[in-house]
Amino acid sequence: MKIVVCVKQVAMLGDEVEFTPDGRGVDPDYLEHALNEWDSYATEEALRIREAAGGGEVVVVSAGDEDAEDAMRRCLAMGADRGVRIAGDGIPAGDPITTARALAEVVRGEGADLVLCGVQSSDAVQGATGTALAELLGLPRVAVVKKIEYDHAARKAVVHRELEGGLVDVNEVETPAVITIQTGINEPRYATLRAIKQAEQKEIEVVEPGQLGPPAASVRRMFVPPRGEGAELLGDDAAGVAQRIKQIVEERLR
Amino acid sequence: MLAAEVPTRETFANLPVWAIAFWYFLIFVSVCAFAWGVWRLARKYRAGRGPAEPDRPAERLARGARVVLSHSWIRRRDPLSGLGHLFVFYGFLVLFVGTAILMVQDDIAGPAGFEFFEGWFYQAYSLFLDVFGAILVAGLLLLAGRRWLVRPPRLDYRRVDGGPEDVRGRYVLGDRAFLGILFFLALTGFLQESFRIAETDPSFETWSPVGWAVGQAFIGIGFDGGAAELAHRINWWVHGLVALGFVSSIPFTKAVHMLAGPASVATRDDLAGRRLVELPPDAKPEEVGYQRITDFAPRHLLQLDACTKCGKCHEACPARASGYPLSPRDLILDLREVAEGSLGLRSRLGVEPRFDAAAPLVGNPIRPETLWSCMQCMACVEICPVGIEHVPIINQLRRGLVERGEMDSQLQQTLETIYTSGNSFGEAKRKRARWTKELGFEVKDARKEPCELLWFVGDFASLDPRNVRNTQALARILHHAGVDFGVLYDAEKSAGNDVRRVGEEGLYTSLAEENVKTIEGCEFGRILTSDPHSYNTLKNEYPELGAGWSAADVVHHSEFLLELLERGRIVPKRRLGYRVTYHDPCTLGRYNRVFEQPREVMRALGLELVEMPRNRDNSFCCGAGGGRIWMKELRDESAQRPSENRIDEAVALGDVRFFTVACPKDVTMYEDAIKTSGHAAEIELRELSELVLEALELDPVAVGAAPEP
Amino acid sequence: MGGTLVVAEHVRGQLRDVTKELVTAAAELGDGPVTIAVIARDPGPLAAAANVPGVDEVVAVAVDADGFSADTALAAIEQLVSEREPSVVLTGFTVDAMGFAPALAARIDLGFASDVVAVRRDGGALVVERDFYGAKVRAELEFPGHDRVLLMLRPTVWAPAEGTGSATVSQLSVASESRSRHLEYVEAGGEGDVDITKADFLLSIGRGVGEKDSITRFEELATAMGATLGVSRPLVDAGWMPAARQVGQSGKTVKPKVYLAFGISGAVQHLAGMKTSGTIIAVNTDPEAAIFGVAHYGAVCDIFDVAEELEKLY
Repeated sequence: MKIVVCVKQVAMLGDEVEFTPDGRGVDPDYLEHALNEWDSYATEEALRIREAAGGGEVVVVSAGDEDAEDAMRRCLAMGADRGVRIAGDGIPAGDPITTARALAEVVRGEGADLVLCGVQSSDAVQGATGTALAELLGLPRVAVVKKIEYDHAARKAVVHRELEGGLVDVNEVETPAVITIQTGINEPRYATLRAIKQAEQKEIEVVEPGQLGPPAASVRRMFVPPRGEGAELLGDDAAGVAQRIKQIVEERLR
Repeated sequence: MLAAEVPTRETFANLPVWAIAFWYFLIFVSVCAFAWGVWRLARKYRAGRGPAEPDRPAERLARGARVVLSHSWIRRRDPLSGLGHLFVFYGFLVLFVGTAILMVQDDIAGPAGFEFFEGWFYQAYSLFLDVFGAILVAGLLLLAGRRWLVRPPRLDYRRVDGGPEDVRGRYVLGDRAFLGILFFLALTGFLQESFRIAETDPSFETWSPVGWAVGQAFIGIGFDGGAAELAHRINWWVHGLVALGFVSSIPFTKAVHMLAGPASVATRDDLAGRRLVELPPDAKPEEVGYQRITDFAPRHLLQLDACTKCGKCHEACPARASGYPLSPRDLILDLREVAEGSLGLRSRLGVEPRFDAAAPLVGNPIRPETLWSCMQCMACVEICPVGIEHVPIINQLRRGLVERGEMDSQLQQTLETIYTSGNSFGEAKRKRARWTKELGFEVKDARKEPCELLWFVGDFASLDPRNVRNTQALARILHHAGVDFGVLYDAEKSAGNDVRRVGEEGLYTSLAEENVKTIEGCEFGRILTSDPHSYNTLKNEYPELGAGWSAADVVHHSEFLLELLERGRIVPKRRLGYRVTYHDPCTLGRYNRVFEQPREVMRALGLELVEMPRNRDNSFCCGAGGGRIWMKELRDESAQRPSENRIDEAVALGDVRFFTVACPKDVTMYEDAIKTSGHAAEIELRELSELVLEALELDPVAVGAAPEP
Repeated sequence: MGGTLVVAEHVRGQLRDVTKELVTAAAELGDGPVTIAVIARDPGPLAAAANVPGVDEVVAVAVDADGFSADTALAAIEQLVSEREPSVVLTGFTVDAMGFAPALAARIDLGFASDVVAVRRDGGALVVERDFYGAKVRAELEFPGHDRVLLMLRPTVWAPAEGTGSATVSQLSVASESRSRHLEYVEAGGEGDVDITKADFLLSIGRGVGEKDSITRFEELATAMGATLGVSRPLVDAGWMPAARQVGQSGKTVKPKVYLAFGISGAVQHLAGMKTSGTIIAVNTDPEAAIFGVAHYGAVCDIFDVAEELEKLY
């Protein structure tokens, strides 16, 4: 059994920002990087499925520059077997369709029984890469899944799709399939730094992407969104704040 | 045998030859049992991981002898029981040596035709042994009285962590038997002498004052001659058999501490807790930390046997005092149960409770909450009379938990945050030196310019708003004094002291290596820090990673401020005159013995310093150490937080204006505790630098201003 | 040629609000006729509901699938797009649409953006806005080389189109194989002990409470204040609270008279579930927290300090 997990090294912004001179991106100095939260759940789920099956291979795939290997290392430290990185210098940021095209070739070559992706990445929040990837691979797909019961022998899975409003849609899907994983599906295990360092010995193959075609979108400019009216501030003295809260609550509920 | 005889006595008086032969046979059996016991112990310790032989044996032997003979560790913080033990120890030792002398006379010198056990030697010997026999009895009475009449709480074996109590009855039985047998031996020894004196009444035996007095009393009531001889004969066997039984039982009972205690004192790691041991770089996951009893270092297995259940650690432990499910004593005893029930004699003899040496320790019987309760404050290691290294042992056990990802989610998140951002606040690197922007003068970038003093600021002092005030105060003082100092700006990362104490060794190593690399790239004289946690790691741990400085090159700001005062580089303009108390941070005081420097600084500022009852090496942890500040609460809600307990202690001194600290984590913990303990109207917190700044009458730094770049 | 195709969204026989919001957005864009596709086994009643002002044509697409099927939805919309050739296809940024919209974009090479918060024409070129980096940065996106674009719009940004429209209704039947099968619906959190949507006064807590053990304290405070306790997603993900208590897009959408938020930073999905509340009061230590953007009253304070003071008052 083989499970491919697609992961992303996401960028995080502190409370300061500077834009690149062309105004189309954020100055990289202001960004910190980490494994996308959703992808850590996807990796954990893949590992659990592998452990439940008593064997198999978990392959981590990422499209990105060399820094993306940090995120992949974390997955390898958690227990994934090997990684493939698609050199992502040519992939426009925030274009999930092109990212999916870059991933598709490699994932197809792996011939996985299951492909897991995070629902979305925390920096771009497109919620699209997994579904687009499924299309390019010609596989069925289920998005926003909070539970997987995978039956390897029967080539199918029962999945719980988390709908809006607290409703869960239980589906049966043929596999191989692409499933996008929602947070809370499991508790991702901690990868110790020691394990991360030792994961440096695990193989990460680097491949060049094929023809990707024109981007599905491109950034024209970036800006700091105007803040709304903003809240009326109640001060920073806890006792005073509590007084005002009580007052407001009583007024409004009258 | 009446008057005019030479003062001596016959060792085997009243015994036929066959009985003497049988006696020697019994001695042989007893010595064999003892030797077998010792061999089993050695085998048990050798089942641990790593080398069993200590380095620098001569030095260690000398240290062991010094500590044991002086009883310096046993007497600390409890002189009365220390005295009791001292009496028993020397009483027992002298009687033992006396017996050995007898053996030399009878079995070596005597057969060679040399008799020395007579005349003045015999009389001096008698006096000496009688006096020390009496000291032994006095010591035993003192200890028994303390244990069973005074009943100090630390001798109460009831658990605080809700763990199993089932072996506790056996402990009590062991205590009674141990004291009882020693007492019985002393008693029958004196009786033996008295019966002999009652039988023959030799005049020279006035040199055995106790035996003489009791013997005369026997004679007085007509218990002499044949009756005394019979009693002598019976008592001889009773005393002898119990004595031999006791000797053979030493390796198997509470008496094992007579062997393991001194050995533990001699072999203990001098830097225990201050400098934790590195992981082998190629360690497999199952080799990380202590996951099974066989992972223990032989030294640590030995320490488990050295424990006498004296409860000094139990008493000192801030976790135990604050309702956490941890007592260092109980942890050590549980581990001993595992070691003994899996590798020791008990497992060999099939006596329950037995344990599987290959089974994970955590779960049964060690609970993870117990290990996470520890603040790594070193109070237990500090006071242990037999040199047990609780803190490194707990740390190793934590490493095993971290390796398996068994930790609470809050801690896991913090470690991830430190991994991604290099600090526990999850702040951007750029914000680390933000505090320098409001100073009104430039702070050197130590990476770019050489400086006399490289200031390693630390996470809390850099990023916590309340602590930034102290950091800025210190910067102003240094600037005012014309000190040539610089900081590392965004290249500084968390020093990793607490990361390491949590048990995340890999993350610690990675942080430490990066910091060492950054610092090594700078040109500087000494390293300054106001954070005792960073201080400890920079001083004791980084040098092991190939840092090019020595422990002496790292100074705490309390030490440095004192230097500035002593050299007249800063001169207080005003005597502050406030009544203050000072809290010793664990990592500065107990860890690194910096006790007096901050106090001297305060005195130089004209402060009236009053001491809390628990001060210096007995300081009471704030509760933040060992990564506890990053973990969810494990405390029993009904108990008081360590920090609040400490504030109560300070307030109880009466009329103390400032609670003074010299540690950023203390600032955070006690600012909070002053509020939550309801003492905000009575006492305020001051960091040492703030007081110095006030005495120098420099402009205070703008409070809480949020700067924009 | 041209025009806007809106994909209606429905669950358990009910049209979802986001559908009407999409109509508003389509009308605002003014890109020719607005067509709305309703895909269901029995689309009739839903098609009638989707006939709101601003819609020019409702296409009732009958398919052979119960519930939602990503394969079926994709096939239906692909057919519609190839027949009508709209310049813009709009779906909600919703769980259902996440199952097919990006696939369509990849299949027929559409311009694509999701979680879109603003749409306009700038000299003929389509320009949209969406957030990056935790909503700290907003970007304008364009679609050079694409004359057809699929956009997934963030719910609750546009007001829903209300009333009854006068669109023509046409029928379409699409046959397709589905590789997934709807089995059943279940309520997340199962034993919903309370219905937070019915409360007049919600006290909600988030990641800021730090640890599971603190929840009890806020539960007690809520009771004392006469409020119902709600939570944000992280507390449900951590398994600390049942999903029935969760406010936000994937939880419940609430509209109490007073919404008091402690330690909630205000992820987009959370805000979508509570921003129409009568009065919003937020307490958070981070002055940059997004929740202050929708709150009427805010305090940058330690939530435990404020809780303690409130405990004294109630």
